[in-house]
Amino acid sequence: MTDQGLRALTDVCVHCGFCLPACPTYQLWGEEMDSPRGRIHLVQQMLEGAPVTPTIAGHLDACLGCLACVPACPSGVRYDRIVTQARVQVEDSGVRTLGQKALRAGIFALFPHPYRLRALRGPLALADRIGLTSPRVVRRLPRPLRAMAELAPPVQPRARLPRRLAPRTFGGGVSRPARVVGLLTGCVQSAFFSHVTEATARVLTLAGCEVVIPRGQGCCGALAHHSGMRRQAVRRARRTIATFERAGVEAVVTDVAGCGSAMKEYADLLADDPQWASRAGALAAKARDVTELLVELGGFGPGRLPQPGRPVPLTVAYHDACHLSNGQGVRSQPRELLRGIPGLRLVTAAGADVCCGSAGIYNLVQPDTAAQLGARKAAALRATGADVIVTGNPGCALQIAAAMRRDGGRDVPVLHTVELLYAALDPTVGDRLLPEHRIQGRHGQGLRATPQ
Amino acid sequence: MVSAVAPGGSAAPATTVSPTSADAVAEVLRQAGAAGQTVAVVGAGTKASWGGSLEPSDVVIRTDRLRGIVRHDAGDLIVTVRAGTALRDVQAVLALSGQRLALSAGAPEATIGGVLAAGEAGPLRLRYGTGRDLLLGVEFVRPDGVRARSGGRVVKNVAGYDVGRLLCGSYGTLGILTEATLRLHPLPAARAWVSRRVESPAEAADVVGAVARSRLVPSAIEVDLTGSAGTLCVLVEGSRSGVAERSAAVAALLGGGEAGAEVSAAEPEWWGRYPFGPGDVALKLAVPLRMLATALEALVELCGAQASVRGSAGSGVLYVRVPDEVAGDAADLAERVAAIRSRLAADPGYGGTCVILAAPAPLRDGLDMWGPVPGLDLMRRVKRQFDPDGRLAAGRFVGGI
Amino acid sequence: MAPEVRPRGPEDRLTGAIAQLAADLQAVLGPAAVITDEAARRTYECDGLTHYRAVPALVVLPESAEEVRHVVRACRERGIPWVARGSGTGLSGGALPVADGLLIVTSRMRRIIDIDLDNGRAVVEPGVINLDISRAVSADGWYYAPDPSSQQVCSIGGNVAENSGGAHCVKYGFTVHHVTGVELCTSDGELVWIGPGQAAEAPGYDLTGVVVGSEGTLGLVTKVAVRLLVQPEAVTTLLAGFPSIVEAGAATSAIIAAGVTPAAVEIMDALAIQAAERAVQCGYPEGAGAVLIVELDGPGVEVAHEAQTVRTLCEENGAFEIREAVDGAERAEIWRGRKSAFAAVGRISPNYIVQDGVIPRTALAQVLAKIDEIARAAGIRVANVFHAGDGNLHPLVLYDAAVPGNLEAAHEVSGAILDLCIDHGGSITGEHGVGVDKATKMPRMFTDDDLATMHLVRCAFDPAGLANPGKVFPTPRLCGERPQPRTAADDARRAEMGVVAW
Repeated sequence: MTDQGLRALTDVCVHCGFCLPACPTYQLWGEEMDSPRGRIHLVQQMLEGAPVTPTIAGHLDACLGCLACVPACPSGVRYDRIVTQARVQVEDSGVRTLGQKALRAGIFALFPHPYRLRALRGPLALADRIGLTSPRVVRRLPRPLRAMAELAPPVQPRARLPRRLAPRTFGGGVSRPARVVGLLTGCVQSAFFSHVTEATARVLTLAGCEVVIPRGQGCCGALAHHSGMRRQAVRRARRTIATFERAGVEAVVTDVAGCGSAMKEYADLLADDPQWASRAGALAAKARDVTELLVELGGFGPGRLPQPGRPVPLTVAYHDACHLSNGQGVRSQPRELLRGIPGLRLVTAAGADVCCGSAGIYNLVQPDTAAQLGARKAAALRATGADVIVTGNPGCALQIAAAMRRDGGRDVPVLHTVELLYAALDPTVGDRLLPEHRIQGRHGQGLRATPQ
Repeated sequence: MVSAVAPGGSAAPATTVSPTSADAVAEVLRQAGAAGQTVAVVGAGTKASWGGSLEPSDVVIRTDRLRGIVRHDAGDLIVTVRAGTALRDVQAVLALSGQRLALSAGAPEATIGGVLAAGEAGPLRLRYGTGRDLLLGVEFVRPDGVRARSGGRVVKNVAGYDVGRLLCGSYGTLGILTEATLRLHPLPAARAWVSRRVESPAEAADVVGAVARSRLVPSAIEVDLTGSAGTLCVLVEGSRSGVAERSAAVAALLGGGEAGAEVSAAEPEWWGRYPFGPGDVALKLAVPLRMLATALEALVELCGAQASVRGSAGSGVLYVRVPDEVAGDAADLAERVAAIRSRLAADPGYGGTCVILAAPAPLRDGLDMWGPVPGLDLMRRVKRQFDPDGRLAAGRFVGGI
Repeated sequence: MAPEVRPRGPEDRLTGAIAQLAADLQAVLGPAAVITDEAARRTYECDGLTHYRAVPALVVLPESAEEVRHVVRACRERGIPWVARGSGTGLSGGALPVADGLLIVTSRMRRIIDIDLDNGRAVVEPGVINLDISRAVSADGWYYAPDPSSQQVCSIGGNVAENSGGAHCVKYGFTVHHVTGVELCTSDGELVWIGPGQAAEAPGYDLTGVVVGSEGTLGLVTKVAVRLLVQPEAVTTLLAGFPSIVEAGAATSAIIAAGVTPAAVEIMDALAIQAAERAVQCGYPEGAGAVLIVELDGPGVEVAHEAQTVRTLCEENGAFEIREAVDGAERAEIWRGRKSAFAAVGRISPNYIVQDGVIPRTALAQVLAKIDEIARAAGIRVANVFHAGDGNLHPLVLYDAAVPGNLEAAHEVSGAILDLCIDHGGSITGEHGVGVDKATKMPRMFTDDDLATMHLVRCAFDPAGLANPGKVFPTPRLCGERPQPRTAADDARRAEMGVVAW
């Protein structure tokens, strides 16, 4: 994006301030520089020639990228585009400290690499077993490592999925052509939450889709894209686009909010690249979150997703992942699917539209702020009295689970939306899946309804 | 120029003038200023006995020739009135257009200027506020004889400071009001008064609270008590069918027939009238609703079972006539009032006040008429700016202003 | 409280008195409360009015009345001017900083101190958001009435400074009608409680009444006692489409003349409707030259009666379509278009000026016709949105800054509209305040003597002229009385008078 383009985006802002109450960092600190309006002003200062100082970089880095300001803005300012571009400028300026740079280098050497993450599983499981990940030990680690260790999930057996899954056939004379959809397996998702991806694949087949899981998928580039690492993001986007072009699918589905949001932004990311622009646009148009696609396919009903046979008598608090609600506008679909499960009671937490603090790599690079937000989120979710928390993003799940462990209150299991859906749809799977594969504290409790 | 008896009854020779225009008022003040004379202003004199010191002034300006309605924009619901106009005359004209000024005074001949300057208000204050809430704009004359305006003729206006509000309740110590523009309301199609007896302060406070917190939108909640018992009366205004339904609902809220609640289309004879008369010791209490019972109990205890208490209980404002037997001795009276004040005291912003509105001449000297006044220092500074020599209504107001 | 990764910027830019002040304040309030970095200070250079900008020398974010007192006193001792800021959403430049002065931001003073529903009162800190007051008491069936359209973000302290109104002020009044007392930090650095607070009145001058609407020039309000109202039993909203403004205005007059006091009466003209439609697809009656929104509230039986009257009068005055909301969701739908109006015009024009003027309601049709004339002559479009109930106009003067001369033409039209308001006996501001934006227009409304009289009040509160200088009054004035040095006798007298803190 050119400076002119960025300026045009910031000029839409009329300084009305409606974004301030929506911004988590403004709610925490009450300072203009850490509000969307103030950050836009800093970007404008940069455009007018101000150098990227550590102060400016700091305030832009403090932005969660939760995009809550976007729906709040009456003038339609595209803050998402502004902050993405601003982050690139901060990254390119090289103004961060050596320590900050080292941390980011470390994060990006690990997280966007599914194979490296999977390689960590063994050592992590061992560390778990010999008590190296206990709070006492973790507390002594340097802050960034401590943040990572606190977030690390329990290691569970990896689900292995075939390259292609056949659609469920519909009996009773109902026939439909199978929708061929590709499935993005993700990075952290594939290393630690492969059971969620399995659930996604299975549920899609139950909805009548043929699911294709291309081998050799890399990272979709979400973390890089949302952190201002443009070159890396572009590289990964191209690879992902090519992978799914080869697969020849009608839709590209993911169960990770951040990935879905990144893929839908591919057209913007590659807009300046004549060779890739239209291909990027094509993939962006096909990108779907799993809940979004399921509702598009008609939700529950004959010839569609089967009505769950057995009731799931649980109180469920749904947590909107920012990149799903604000980033993709997907709010009603997960709720519609959850409400379709008989016996399930859906509740909303106070401050439901405030970020949990996960925000990509935010909880690693700004751990104290993230912890503050995580604590608020955990308390609000717990206060609903829910039996289980459901969300559409692994980052959120890890963040909320870590926050609940940290404050020592009632440990409420956190599941992915599609996991709960799968458990409701397939009783045999439900029995097998639920006790082991939920994201929770280290005490291993089964799901059960609270007495009414 | 007529030589008249100054307020307070002493026969000091004072020059009394009745200017016919604001410019004439300004001229009088300029001349008085040049001669270093003290000045007081009088409307109909209905509240001449209220306030602090009633030292006679060198010059008394009467507003009896500053009468008339300057304009009445019925469509815009505003009226501009000269300060010496009697409130009842204004109401009569407004009524012809189906409108009213939601303000009333204890005495029928009270002037607009006097009502505003004394901060007088009647039962409708619960719903419509007092003079300062209805005032849109003023013309007045400063103590140095300079004419000035603030506000305007429109309901909505935030240009400049609202000096008009400052003048309301200022007892004529900052300037002389010559013209006021006020906001009007439509006359209701129907009115009903719902009353019942109350036998104790606690009962009265409970009932007042219940009605004030309901959704029935009463226009007024008044009491008329002798000692601890008497009548509580709620005014309901609106459309004919609406008032019929709502007054029944209020009656039910008041306990219905069992509690002796009655609905009447006639205004009680005590409605909007002070319980005190000339020569009485008169008190005015303003308390948070939460303190209403405390205030009423304190009055019974310290002013006796024959104390007449009347007023806008729904707003926490009560007027009291202290019986003669209690009001005999200045020192004793001072103690009683001090005791009432200490019962009403709380952290700044949380307590109530008790003002001695009027007292006969011999008692006055020993009394602190106003009591503690938060922000007095700032008030003195305001007074000093407007009237550096302290010539206007000297000693009439709080803190010796 | 500050984010962990935020190194302090270069402070060598600050010199002299300011640098010393910064050091002193950092020592007492903590470094997180004092902003010295230039880029950071620049983000505070304007409020909701972006035409005027000034970078404050220092920005301070106190967290309590005591801290405010310390800051203001420090300024007083050094003769440094200061400006107070809430959420920075004002539209008259009231929070425009002074370039060589301090900006005191109240956004961290956001506690609701006290709620007393038996009394219908609450006491809050100035940084509390307007809507949050209602939110805090809504479950119990109460609310805080003044509802400026920025109520989700504007602070109560800012409302007090500007005497803010909102759509419902035609029935319920403005901030001054709902504030019963304030704790004020005077520019001498004293905390004084003024006003009755919980009671209905208190002896003495109505200082609260003059502080509300004084635009921050009489001191900094550190606590506000507000009046709460019981939620009405019934609310209904009607939307009527008219062929033109003239009929809509006539209908409004008829409604008022019939003795109905609506809770809100709003009119939008064709251009404003077009913008709103494009922005939020509000689906207002198609082809309407004007829409009228009337909201009625109160006891159910009265609301039903009034709704019938409103309907009939709209029909009689040429409404071609009338909708009445049956529930909260439908009411919100009707309001959606009106609430989006200001921002919506941003979609039909690159730039715009929001003007704020008042005229007697009966002059509505006349004045709007005149505005149309003026706009046409200048080749500028003006969309009209206004509070028809009280004659408060908000002409949206549209222009394109990229076209040479357009901005100047727009400013001229905007100024001419204000002149029109004054000529019709109205006011230069109904809600947004005078600030810097309209200080030069004050002499059109008030004589020199009028302004000098208002200035007497200013001198009583702030003789040194340090509180928000340069606002409201068109030319700087000196105060006659010189501030005296404090003596022990003064201290004793003040203590006796109940000055809260020293």
